[in-house]
Amino acid sequence: MKYSGYILLAIVWLALPFVLERHAIDLLVFCGFYAVAGAGVGFLLGQGGIVNLGQAAFYGLGAYSSAYCTVQLGLPAPVGILTGVVVSLCLAFLIGRPILRLSGYFLALATLALGIICSNLFYEAEFITGGTLGIPGVPKLSVLGFALDTPTKFYFLIWPVAVLCVLSMRSLMSSRIGLAMQAMRDAPEAAMVLAIDISRLKLWMFLISSVLGSVAGSLFAHYVGFVNVDSFGVERSIFFLLVPVIGGAASPAGVLVGALFVGLVPEALSVLGDIHRVLFGLALVATVVFFPDGLIGLLKRLADTCIPARRQALKMEQSR
Amino acid sequence: MSMMLLAQACATGITNGLIYALVGLGMAVIFKGSRLINAMHGELAVVGAATAVYCVEIAMWPTWLAVTMGMLIAMVLSTLVDIGLVRRLFNRNAREESFLLLTVGLGFTFSAAVLYVFGREEHLLPAFGDEIYEVAGAIIREQTIWIVGIAAFILIGLKLFYKYTDFGLAMMAASIDPDGAATTGINVRLMRTATFALGGLMAAVAGLLVTPMIGVSYQMGPILTLKGFAAAVLGGLTNPLGALVGGITIGLLESLSIVYISSGLKDAVALSVLIVIMILVPDGILGRSGRKGG
Repeated sequence: MKYSGYILLAIVWLALPFVLERHAIDLLVFCGFYAVAGAGVGFLLGQGGIVNLGQAAFYGLGAYSSAYCTVQLGLPAPVGILTGVVVSLCLAFLIGRPILRLSGYFLALATLALGIICSNLFYEAEFITGGTLGIPGVPKLSVLGFALDTPTKFYFLIWPVAVLCVLSMRSLMSSRIGLAMQAMRDAPEAAMVLAIDISRLKLWMFLISSVLGSVAGSLFAHYVGFVNVDSFGVERSIFFLLVPVIGGAASPAGVLVGALFVGLVPEALSVLGDIHRVLFGLALVATVVFFPDGLIGLLKRLADTCIPARRQALKMEQSR
Repeated sequence: MSMMLLAQACATGITNGLIYALVGLGMAVIFKGSRLINAMHGELAVVGAATAVYCVEIAMWPTWLAVTMGMLIAMVLSTLVDIGLVRRLFNRNAREESFLLLTVGLGFTFSAAVLYVFGREEHLLPAFGDEIYEVAGAIIREQTIWIVGIAAFILIGLKLFYKYTDFGLAMMAASIDPDGAATTGINVRLMRTATFALGGLMAAVAGLLVTPMIGVSYQMGPILTLKGFAAAVLGGLTNPLGALVGGITIGLLESLSIVYISSGLKDAVALSVLIVIMILVPDGILGRSGRKGG
C-alpha cells in the first residue's frame, strides 16, 4: 500500500513510450538531460544555498569532450564521457577553489560569468569545437552491443540515470556529510564551530554538480549526434537553474518534476506563438514568489489535504 | 596608424565604459537602498530603450517625448516589481537566493516580452546630434559627448542626493538598519519603493544613451547587467565614483582586448577581470575609504 504510488508511476513510465508519438518521446529524453544536469544545480541550491548560473559550461565540456574524442580521435564512447568528467572536475576544482570563497550574489554572478566565459571560449576554440559549425556525426551510444539509436531506446537509458542521480543525492543527504551540508546552509557559524570544513564541503558539492553537468552533456552529444555552440549559452544555464527552482530544491525528487516542467511546458505553450516565453517567465516568477517549495511542495500539500489516509497520518503526527 | 588605432580603441572603450558605469550606478542605487542585487537591471534598460524606439518608430512621437516615456515605463515597471513581488518576499523573510531568482526570472520575462513586441531585429534611436569630432586621430561622435555630460551630471547629482537631502539619507538608513530607521519615523517600505523607482529610471537612462550607438535588441540584457555589475563591484558597489572608475576600466580592457587579442574574447576578458576582482579586492579598487553607506 505504501509503495502503490511509486509502482503506479513506474508502470506509467514504462508504458509511455509505447503510447506517445516520436516527437513526445524525444521531448521526454530532453527532460532527462535537464534532470541530470539540473540535479547538480539543485544539489548546490537546496543543500548549499548556492545559486549556480554556469552549469551550461560543464554541460558543454562534457558534450565537446565526447564529440571530440569519438569523432576526431576515434576513441570509444566511454573514454569520451570519462574525459568530459575529468576535464570538468579539473575546471571545477581550479575555478571552484577561489570563487567558492565568495557568497550570495557575488558567487552567483561569478558562476554566471564563468558560464559566459566558457561559451565564448567554445566559440573561439574552433580547432576543438568547430565554432559555429560544430561537430557533426557523433556516434550513437551502445550498451552491451545494444545500439541506442531511437528516442525510445535512449529514454530507457536516460531516465534510470536521472532517477539514480536523485536516489544517490537522497542517500547522500541523510548521511553524515549531508547533515553537515544542511548545517552549513542553515547556520554557517554554528557549523564551523562544530568543526565542519565549509570551504571543502562547498568544493565537494561543486565538483559533484560539475560531474552531473558533464555526464548530461556527454549523453546529449551522443543522443543528438551533433554539437554546436548554440546549445551551451547562458539561457541553457538559466534553464538548468529553473529545474530545481520550479520543482523544489529542498527535495531531490523535485528535480524530476522540474525537469518535466522545463522540458514540456515551453513546448506546450509554443502553440501560442512567441508569447510563450513571456508566460514561461511569469510561471517562474510565480513559483519563486508563491510556492517557495516548488511544484513538489505544492503536490505534497495537495496530497496532504486531498488523500484521506495522508491527512489522517498528518493529524496524528501533529497531535503527537 | 597603430597610434590612431590605440586612440580609437581608448575612445570607444571610454564610451562603452561610461554606459557600463551608468548601469552599475543603477544597480548600486538599488543595492544601497535594499541590499539586493537587481539581476534584471539590464533588461529594464532594454525595456526603457525599446519603449522609446516604439514611440518614435511606430507611434511617430517626437524624440523627447519618446525618451520621457521610456524612462517612465521603466520606472513604473521597477516600482510595480517592488510593490507586487519584492515586498512579498521581504514579508516572508526570504533568503538571498530567492531575491536573485526572482529578478533573474523577471529579466527573462522582460526580454521575452521585448522579443514578442519587437521581434529579433536591432533598433536604433536617433542620436542627440550628428557632429563628429577628431581628437588625436580618434573619431568621436557627438553622442559620446552627451554620454560624458549626462554621466557626470548623474554622478554628481547622486552624490549630493545621498549626502545632503533628507530623502536620500532616509533611503540609505532604511536599508542599512531597517529597525532603527523605522523607530526614527522613516517609512522603510516606502523608501525601498522609491529606491526601486530611482533604479528603474537609472536603468532606462543607460539604455536610452546606448541605443543610438548599439541597436537595442531583446537579448542584450544579461550582458549589460553583468558588465554593469562588474563596474559596480570593481568600484566597491556603493561608491558612485567607484562605479565610474570600474566602468571605464572594463570598457578600456574590453576595447584593448579587441585590438590585441580577439574580438570574440572581449566578454571573456572583462568577466575574468570581474571574477579576479571579486576574489582579490572585494572592497573595490578604490578601497574602503571611498565607501559610504555600507
